[in-house]
Amino acid sequence: MKMEAMSLSGLDNTKLEALAHDIYSDLVEDACLGLCFEVHRAVKQGYFFLDETDQDSMKDFEIVDQPGVDIFGQVYNQWKNKECVCPNCSRSIAASRFAPHLEKCLGMGRNSSRIANRRIASSNNMSKSESDQEDNDDINDNDWSYGSEKKAKKRKSDKVFLRSLKQPVLLVSLALDIGNILFYLFIYLSIS
Amino acid sequence: MSKESQLRALVNQKLIEMGERERLKELLRARLIECGWKDQLKAHCKDVIREKDSEHVTVEDLVAEITPKGRALVPDSVKKELLQRIRAFLAQHATL
Repeated sequence: MKMEAMSLSGLDNTKLEALAHDIYSDLVEDACLGLCFEVHRAVKQGYFFLDETDQDSMKDFEIVDQPGVDIFGQVYNQWKNKECVCPNCSRSIAASRFAPHLEKCLGMGRNSSRIANRRIASSNNMSKSESDQEDNDDINDNDWSYGSEKKAKKRKSDKVFLRSLKQPVLLVSLALDIGNILFYLFIYLSIS
Repeated sequence: MSKESQLRALVNQKLIEMGERERLKELLRARLIECGWKDQLKAHCKDVIREKDSEHVTVEDLVAEITPKGRALVPDSVKKELLQRIRAFLAQHATL
């Protein structure tokens, strides 16, 4: 088929506008037809009216649009100031503080185990005497192996991590003590 | 075939070949959904279907009812945007 080279610039503006409008009308008609086909198929397959029930149910669940109330009609900060009774310590706690209080009270949850470990670590460090160090070092040496850690849950790995932090502290304090002893020995030998 | 209709056919062919017609269709569909045209028209469909016998609605019935209303309901902003894009395309491809 022979194709002529044609130019749109030969057309004047009105014709160009008419052309643009025709193209636009075609596009809109396509969109309308698409919608018609969609709706017709929905009607024939029976799912067009699926989202409608009887009038009464529709009235019951209508969207509520009032201030101070959510779209279901419920007041949404009703329980902000209510108080709950803790089943463990039988204290009356505010609702927003209830969950963290339960965590600490029952001794479960991430934070309470971390705090407990920290407490153990600091109390062990402070009550350390020189003779105890050797024994504790032997006991704590098990923590450096990774076999036992694999079975442990994440909480235990936290404890092991904290215990392993003590090791350099212990080693340093051991070194200091040994240095202390040597110093006194030296003095003693030099005096005698 | 007159020169004008030949020109028109060529323009349409070029639109399709360059994929511009698909892009314009998608753009129009997106804009119409955004502005709520589709939902409006669907509600109108519901009324039409309820009036007629809902079992025996044909495509032709729907088309006859929906298309004129659909054409009228297109918002001006959408129409302007599309015409602008079409004019830009025509200006860009003045020589076919």
